[in-house]
Amino acid sequence: MSDHHPAHLTVYGVTVRFGGVHALNGVTFSAEPGSIVGLIGANGSGKTTTLDVISGLVRPQAGTVMLDGVDLGEYLPEERLGVGMVRSFQDCRLYPELTVTDVLLLSEDARREVAVLSTTLRLPWARRSERRKLEAVDEVIAAFGLERFRQHRTGELSTGTRRVVDLASIVLARPRLLLLDEPTAGIAQREAEAFIPLLRRIHDVADTTIVLVEHDVPLVFELCSTVIVMELGQVVAVGPPDQVRADPKALAAYLGASDEALLASGPVAEDGGRSGGSEGA
Amino acid sequence: MLAFSAPNFVLVQGVFYGLGYGLLALGLVLVYRTNRVLNFAQGQIGVIAAVFLVKLTADFKFNYWFALVISVGIAAFAGALSELVLRRLFNRPRVLVMVATIGLSYVLLALATLPFISPHNTSQPEPVPFDLSFHLGPFIITSTEVLTLIVAPLVTLALVLAVRLTSWGLAMRAMSENADSARLSGVWIRRTSTITWTVAGALSAFTAILNAPNQTSALTQALYPDLLLYALTAALLGAMVNLTVAFVAGVGVGVGLELLQWNVASPAKQQFIVFLAVMAVLFIRVGALRRGTRVGERSTWGHGAATTVRASTDPLRRRVSAVGVWLCILVPALLPLILSVGNDVLMSQICIYAVVALSLTMLTGWAGQVSLGQFGLVAVGALVAVHLGTSLPLPVVMLYGGAVTALVAIIVGLPALRMPGLFLAVTTLAFGIFMQSAVLATPCITIPGIDKTICTGLPNPAYTVVNRPSLLGISLASQRSFAWFSLGVLVLSVLMLKVWRDKGIARRLVAVRDNEFGAAAMGIPILRTKLLAFALSGFVAGYAGVCFAFATQQLNNTDLTFDPTTSFVIISMIVIGGLGSISGAILGALYLEGLPAIFGSNATIQFLTSGLGLIAFILYLPGGLAEVLHRSGDLVTIGLRSVLHRDASHPAEPKSPTAALVAEGAER
Repeated sequence: MSDHHPAHLTVYGVTVRFGGVHALNGVTFSAEPGSIVGLIGANGSGKTTTLDVISGLVRPQAGTVMLDGVDLGEYLPEERLGVGMVRSFQDCRLYPELTVTDVLLLSEDARREVAVLSTTLRLPWARRSERRKLEAVDEVIAAFGLERFRQHRTGELSTGTRRVVDLASIVLARPRLLLLDEPTAGIAQREAEAFIPLLRRIHDVADTTIVLVEHDVPLVFELCSTVIVMELGQVVAVGPPDQVRADPKALAAYLGASDEALLASGPVAEDGGRSGGSEGA
Repeated sequence: MLAFSAPNFVLVQGVFYGLGYGLLALGLVLVYRTNRVLNFAQGQIGVIAAVFLVKLTADFKFNYWFALVISVGIAAFAGALSELVLRRLFNRPRVLVMVATIGLSYVLLALATLPFISPHNTSQPEPVPFDLSFHLGPFIITSTEVLTLIVAPLVTLALVLAVRLTSWGLAMRAMSENADSARLSGVWIRRTSTITWTVAGALSAFTAILNAPNQTSALTQALYPDLLLYALTAALLGAMVNLTVAFVAGVGVGVGLELLQWNVASPAKQQFIVFLAVMAVLFIRVGALRRGTRVGERSTWGHGAATTVRASTDPLRRRVSAVGVWLCILVPALLPLILSVGNDVLMSQICIYAVVALSLTMLTGWAGQVSLGQFGLVAVGALVAVHLGTSLPLPVVMLYGGAVTALVAIIVGLPALRMPGLFLAVTTLAFGIFMQSAVLATPCITIPGIDKTICTGLPNPAYTVVNRPSLLGISLASQRSFAWFSLGVLVLSVLMLKVWRDKGIARRLVAVRDNEFGAAAMGIPILRTKLLAFALSGFVAGYAGVCFAFATQQLNNTDLTFDPTTSFVIISMIVIGGLGSISGAILGALYLEGLPAIFGSNATIQFLTSGLGLIAFILYLPGGLAEVLHRSGDLVTIGLRSVLHRDASHPAEPKSPTAALVAEGAER
């Protein structure tokens, strides 16, 4: 696509109340085109709600979300795919019965629908379209090192591999803004480290802006160009990793008084959030 | 239109029938809540009790009440036994379990005819506990009615209280919310489900015994799709959860049906109204039904049913497959030359049934929508053939029949747009009954508002002759040429389905089946994909119907051809063959149509083999006959390789992509 360019996301003054609770209170930040923005904060600080607002699943009571200067307020969640916004979900269920190749082809289908009649009659343009899709999929399979799993059903893959397949299918959707909700949830620490080069590769291959919510603080500081620290529905610190690391407010909000947690290779301990992957903590 | 009237005795009779439907619905709801299974054998379990009660009182001269206790006990035992057999299936695709219960009902039906259960004299009247009869209008109230009136509400009340108050009820409710969590919290889910089925068995016994005096003989309560449909409708009104609503709805259904029969004279119109009502019930309750579904079970699926057999990359294995495919085309192609005329007919029939099975493979195997009315769609195609006859070239008639049926299939499938695929079984069952007893049976109908007459049914419902056309100047009148033609249609259908499977249609259907929300987030149009499944399936079933009409050469609505139970046979075919597999559909048709024709026609043995065979297949051969075929292909390859002394190349150990990236990162 010639008009493909990473999107510029602006979130301004977003406020969400669930009943009397301020889930978000005047959240404002922006993601420059091509940047990787990481949202960190304790459980309940409003990270996932922020993603929900951006992807349109939650309607804010106040504030705007703009993509390249266009207000997305009236866009339904499914319409946001059309402006290049793609979101991955925590559970990553995929389709247990489909092979990896089929899952990836499916994400191509979403943009170039399979025409029933011409496919049935094996007309030349239908064959050509299917061949092009396969080429695109092969490229992505090679880029993500999935050759071995090409014909495996996704139901029989490990959680880590399934997540890679999920990310690969997201790349095929040509996102201009990619929203990732805890991409390393449920993955062993060693494999989670591997996500840093993987996400970098997605960033390069898909040429996209990325906003990610993540509990793995070392990963966020390693990967992101901008780190946003949230507390009780508010943004308490924004900036490049080095600046945030030095910010006492940010440390107090999330990292605790010392920065030992930062240096630890394990996930940061917090109430029950990631008790499963505590091997390195 | 007649004026609507509701005389008392009609209402009373409706209530009596309705109590029976209500009790049956209770059993359906109980089992569904516990195991998420639509139990099509629910009615059959009780028939054993009803039959045995006659034997005990007539042959052994037992006291009625004593015999009643024993009979109900036997039904309860049969229920528990059924649970023990089907237990292993409860975490398998819902469709499989449902088909297994259809198999179970055949087995139970065969059991009821065995000498140690059925009485010597099968036309024995059903025993009554005490002599009592008085008139209410033209309707005679006997002791059974009085008993029903007392027992049914009491049983329901006891059941509702048991579910609310006992530990079994609590365990069952916990299981229906989340079986895994319940299990981890110490609920014995196995014991709970066994108890549920035992209770359901006893309920079924009450239904059958209380209803039996209305039948001429207890044995006529064979698998009776209408009865099941009414009970299912009542259960759906209770959203498959609420026992009280289901029971009351059962009574309501009974009264409604009696009023319908009293006020509407033509059976066709009655069936039409019943069909509309069932559709309406589903539309009304769709929200509650969706909410009542466990999250992980939104689809009829789950793991374990193969849709696509993975193409092997091994060149020798591929060659074995290719040889096998050519053999499967060439041998049948030469067969008509040596077969007798009768076997030519059989061959055409098997081929056409295989095409019908293929149409269901797509709908149920790939898209996860359960259809129990596939033969209703075949009937639509057959009607097109009857009306167009030889006036147009055969391929045009087939395309036209396919297109018309596709439209009908889309309408029948509309409730599936917002509903888990399993419940479609109910509307399609209603559709099958409607096609047989209303559309086929009525030559012409006059649309009330505009006074226009349209003739869609069989011109002569009892006996309509269909003349065979010719194709490319060759007459198909001889059985041999028609066998070749049917084989040709089958081969073309297989080629078409293979394209659909491999070139992008199937993956869309499977994706929507397995993860509707994920597919929607990906940008796959959900509604269009679901309708596409129905349209394609209807198209195939439609042209199969055209061929079916020309194959039989005479159609009527009275014999079993278009009976809804034929649709049960079709769904059994695709399950025995291997759900979702193309070769499986053909093998299933061969197995269920070919074997009985070749080996004997003893009804008991047929029922037993098909029912038991069906359950055995589902239990022990989850991949069906297709898997057997696939494995034998593997064996042949291994054998060939050892003969050819070739070294098998061992593929390297698979490596996870993230591990590869770790290694890569370490190098940097």
